[in-house]
Amino acid sequence: MQDKKILEVNHLSKKFGQTDVLKDIDGTVKSGQVICVIGPSGAGKSTFLRCLNLLEKPTSGEVNFEGTDLTHVDDKHLVNLRERMGMVFQSFNLFPNMTVLENLKLAPVRVKHLSDEEAEKTAMHLLGLVGLEEKAHVYPSSLSGGQQQRVAIARALAMNPEVMLFDEPTSALDPEMVGEVLEVMQKLANEGMTMVVVTHEMGFAKEVADEVWFMADGYILEKGKPEELFDNPQNERAKDFIGKIIQNV
Amino acid sequence: MKKSVKAIIQVIMMITALFTFTAWQASSASAADNSLQRVKQRGELIMVTSPDYPPYEFQVNKGGKSRIVGMDIDVAKKVAKDLHVKLVIKSMNFDSLLVAIQTGKADMAIGGINPTATRRQSVDFSKIYYSGGQSFLINSSDVNKYKSVKNLKGATIGAQTGTLQYGLAKKKIPNSTVKGMDKSTDLVLALKTHKIDALGIEKPSAEAYVKNDPSLKMIPSGYHLNKNEVGAAIAFKKGSNSLVNAVNKSVDQIKQQHLTDQYLASAGKYMKVNTVNTSMWHYWTYFAKGVEFTILISIVATFFGVLIGVILALMRFSKQKWIRGLAISYTEFIRGTPLMVQVMFVYFGIGVVVNIPALISGMIAVSLNSGAYVAEIIRGGINSVAKGQTEAAESLGLSKSDMMRFVILPQAFKNIWPALGNEFISLIKESSIVSIIGVTDLIYQLNIVRADTYRGVIPIFVAMVLYFIMTFALTRLLNHYEGKMKHAG
Ligand SMILES: Nc1ncnc2c1ncn2[C@@H]1O[C@H](COP(=O)(O)OP(=O)(O)O)[C@@H](O)[C@H]1O
Ligand SMILES: [Mg+2]
Repeated sequence: MQDKKILEVNHLSKKFGQTDVLKDIDGTVKSGQVICVIGPSGAGKSTFLRCLNLLEKPTSGEVNFEGTDLTHVDDKHLVNLRERMGMVFQSFNLFPNMTVLENLKLAPVRVKHLSDEEAEKTAMHLLGLVGLEEKAHVYPSSLSGGQQQRVAIARALAMNPEVMLFDEPTSALDPEMVGEVLEVMQKLANEGMTMVVVTHEMGFAKEVADEVWFMADGYILEKGKPEELFDNPQNERAKDFIGKIIQNV
Repeated sequence: MKKSVKAIIQVIMMITALFTFTAWQASSASAADNSLQRVKQRGELIMVTSPDYPPYEFQVNKGGKSRIVGMDIDVAKKVAKDLHVKLVIKSMNFDSLLVAIQTGKADMAIGGINPTATRRQSVDFSKIYYSGGQSFLINSSDVNKYKSVKNLKGATIGAQTGTLQYGLAKKKIPNSTVKGMDKSTDLVLALKTHKIDALGIEKPSAEAYVKNDPSLKMIPSGYHLNKNEVGAAIAFKKGSNSLVNAVNKSVDQIKQQHLTDQYLASAGKYMKVNTVNTSMWHYWTYFAKGVEFTILISIVATFFGVLIGVILALMRFSKQKWIRGLAISYTEFIRGTPLMVQVMFVYFGIGVVVNIPALISGMIAVSLNSGAYVAEIIRGGINSVAKGQTEAAESLGLSKSDMMRFVILPQAFKNIWPALGNEFISLIKESSIVSIIGVTDLIYQLNIVRADTYRGVIPIFVAMVLYFIMTFALTRLLNHYEGKMKHAG
């Protein structure tokens, strides 16, 4: 089970007009693995993540999700595959016109056609998991950033995804709220969730990640176990970047 | 960009084609003369007039009911009686009278119309039923300054746009500046407030004003004019020989029996009644009717405007390029042409193919116009929803329609709602333009009251207050609901 490939990326490239944002990316994510993606701003990390669930259409290359190449799937089936990949954004993106509970129930009811009771049961269970059961009936605007992000994680989990994609989930948070979100993510990892996480939280990466990928200028320049990559990076750019974030911490 | 330009050109071509078609209809319809037969079969003679020109035609308020009376109306009644049909009176701006008969909105136009050579090129005329002669109105305070027409050299002279008086003043008074306005009531007001020095007007009208307003005096024009061109005649669509001949029999009788003297006398009686009670309270039914129509048009136009706007906005988000192009062209075209022209196009232009009543035409035009603006409001509202919302919805696997329905539109609506409210409020004001095709909205009623009371300013003030009350009340109401919605969200 541990060896089952969930995502396999081959020669992935992405251009915005004339600019190459992703250049010939390869990578494999196995079931239960946690991959942390690090790299300087503008490296293409977000674009990479968004290519994985085809929010962004790759210019060339393959994105295999459980054996299906997503780049050759029509829009209708894409929707079906996408629901099995949860995504958490830097800016939470909760639906402000719905309560927390409604945020969690919308996709299960509309997409998976769960009954209202089933969806509510799952939602309440997940809110329990992220520690926000008592906030079920409030609107997102009355929650703190950390709470909103935890709700966003629960919302993605409500679709019971195979893999969770996180795009800098803590970088928009006040420092005192970072911990509560990372804690939830760690819990998920411990339960065996497959995760691809773009983050600059070295502590989290060291403790939770199975692999760290270093990206710069649209390339993955180095991949390695966290302790190898952080303590003894081979690539010059990686060395430079890691030196800087360690200084800043 | 190129695509949308192409689409715009297509729309222009379509409209041109439609217009050519309507013009062709108009001309082909006149080929066979069944004008008299049509009137007889219908049992109704439809006339148009511009009832702001006492004593020729004007509105009176009798027993709370508004009626159009005057010499011309009596002439028309006689004509209808001689033809053994019922008379139906439609009213609109003087400017539009000839267009109305050309486009078949009415069988004849009557309204102190002088059968000039230019006009004869586009319409047929009956024999002249009355020759009043030309004169000028001046302020009583100026009697010494403007003793005769000679003194008017270099003066500023007012005249109703599209009338003979306008052309004559330009041609015959040396160095004069001629100012044209639509309504004789506006012109009289301009004279009394010294915006103009003299007002070129038919003699019977001038006499009527002088009789009712001591601050005005009349001087004769002294023009030497071709009798054939200065008298008043009834206008018909070109090629209506049978109808013209039938009407001429009545006109002959009117002249032989000097019936116009009698008609003028009875018009004068109405005018006397009219000046007794010129308080605005006396006219409240007029204003009430105006407010009613203004609100009615605004509500209908807002409703259909929103409907059209939603459809256009959805078209803008279509995958098909040509559907998007069509919506863009429509919006650009409507926003690039004045509402006034659109109103006239719907009424007179489309009206040749399908005869639509003025009120419906006005509603259609204002709705079509509003739709384009609403579409932009909706599009703006949708675009204002943060991009992250779409991404979150997509990442959850929601379909496009579910995303619109549950995520985007509810949020967009918060921005759309206040803008729609503003659109409704501006419709209340802008719909006033439908008065040019004779829809009895507040502006139209205002002009009638002004013509009726010889009071230029007070009715304007009343209308202004009424408009303000409507828009202010609406603003407060919308704010109230907006506040409630904010609370809920
Ligand atoms: N929609 C877009 N259109 C054009 N350029 C884009 C778009 N999205 C990202 N880019 C560009 O692609 C590059 C990589 O962006 P991104 O993936 O957001 O980097 P990161 O997440 O590593 O900071 C940047 O130079 C950015 O300006
Ligand atoms: Mg990023």
